[in-house]
Amino acid sequence: MAAAGAVSALCRRFTGVLRLSGARPGSVAAGLPGLNLFHKNLAKVEPLHQLKLLHTTLSRKGLEEFFDDPGNWGEKTVKSGDAWNIKQLRGKSSEDLHKLWYVLLKEKNMLLTLEQESKRQIRPMPSPERLEKVEKSMENIDLVVKEREIALRLLQTGHEKPVPGEWRHDFLGRTYWYTYKEWPIPWYLNKRYKKKRFYYLPHVERFIRLRLEKFLCKRARGQNLERKKQKLLKRKFPQLAVKSQSQ
Amino acid sequence: MAAGARKAKAVYPLFQLGGPQLRIFRPNFFMLAVRPGVPQPEDTVQFRVSMEMTKVDIKNYLEKIYNVPVAAVRTRIQYGANNKRNHKNQREKKPDYKVAYVQLGQGQTFQFPNLFPEKEQDTETHSFEDFKNKYMEREKQRQKGDPRRDGVPDWFGL
Repeated sequence: MAAAGAVSALCRRFTGVLRLSGARPGSVAAGLPGLNLFHKNLAKVEPLHQLKLLHTTLSRKGLEEFFDDPGNWGEKTVKSGDAWNIKQLRGKSSEDLHKLWYVLLKEKNMLLTLEQESKRQIRPMPSPERLEKVEKSMENIDLVVKEREIALRLLQTGHEKPVPGEWRHDFLGRTYWYTYKEWPIPWYLNKRYKKKRFYYLPHVERFIRLRLEKFLCKRARGQNLERKKQKLLKRKFPQLAVKSQSQ
Repeated sequence: MAAGARKAKAVYPLFQLGGPQLRIFRPNFFMLAVRPGVPQPEDTVQFRVSMEMTKVDIKNYLEKIYNVPVAAVRTRIQYGANNKRNHKNQREKKPDYKVAYVQLGQGQTFQFPNLFPEKEQDTETHSFEDFKNKYMEREKQRQKGDPRRDGVPDWFGL
């Protein structure tokens, strides 16, 4: 797991020059104690190479980062911005996304600490929606990074999936995408793998047919319902139907 | 097959003797500090960590991400009880979690802070409290009987 020694070295190099990355944005906005910069407002910070020597000190005692700004302790609500959108994240460089990931991770840890402590003290947690926003942002970063990886892989190798696989049947006749797993021994020596059956016996064909029928019935029902709804709307609002056709 | 909305389990490359050290970019492991139930020595901090983290992982996590010097880490897995039942008489499992006791290096100490200190109430809450108190007093006055009849209710007598 050795959490990216290269990244920390990179961060330290940047901080040596500019002392901004790694510092909690809360310390930048020293004059605005209630304002939490972890969310969208980070986008408004200019790219690092344009900033002058802003001497914001890093939080020395790392364990303080498990807790919120002390001015916010005991408050009923803490203001925070919106979650990061995928469109906003697509515009960021990979380095920025990497740093943002760690900022969000530390924020998530802080919020989880607060949640547990509030359960312990039997008090309401101030602004629990922050947790959802942070998790949503992290998912979005994941998606953006995956997109970039897929694009690179397609260009370099022509495959879009990181792990090769194939379509296989299971013992119930269902077809699914099986991803190849890494084993230290070949498949014919692998007892656990041999117990799995990637074929189905002839008596299962009847159930495949029944499953197919069920799926088709459900789909037909959905389509019929859609058509009926459209018909009803056209009957109730004939003028709108005429407008859509003319456009 | 059933397309689950649950998070897909992370797949790591197989490790064999002599192979490269696994390095993870953007780790998704959480770690939260908790107030210890049993008093701990001053240099010990208690955390709840993801189940997949090892002692080495926790040490690296704290040192690299939080810049905290770590001397020693001990972990244990806390089993979450499964004997409470809901209104359908189904057993409800409390999730298991891993607890880590981290001893800080370089002679640092740590006390879990009070995250809910008493704060002065604002003018708004003050006025609301006053209003509430006055309303309660008025209600109590109404409940009491007539002072001319020494509090005896009107139900009896003339």
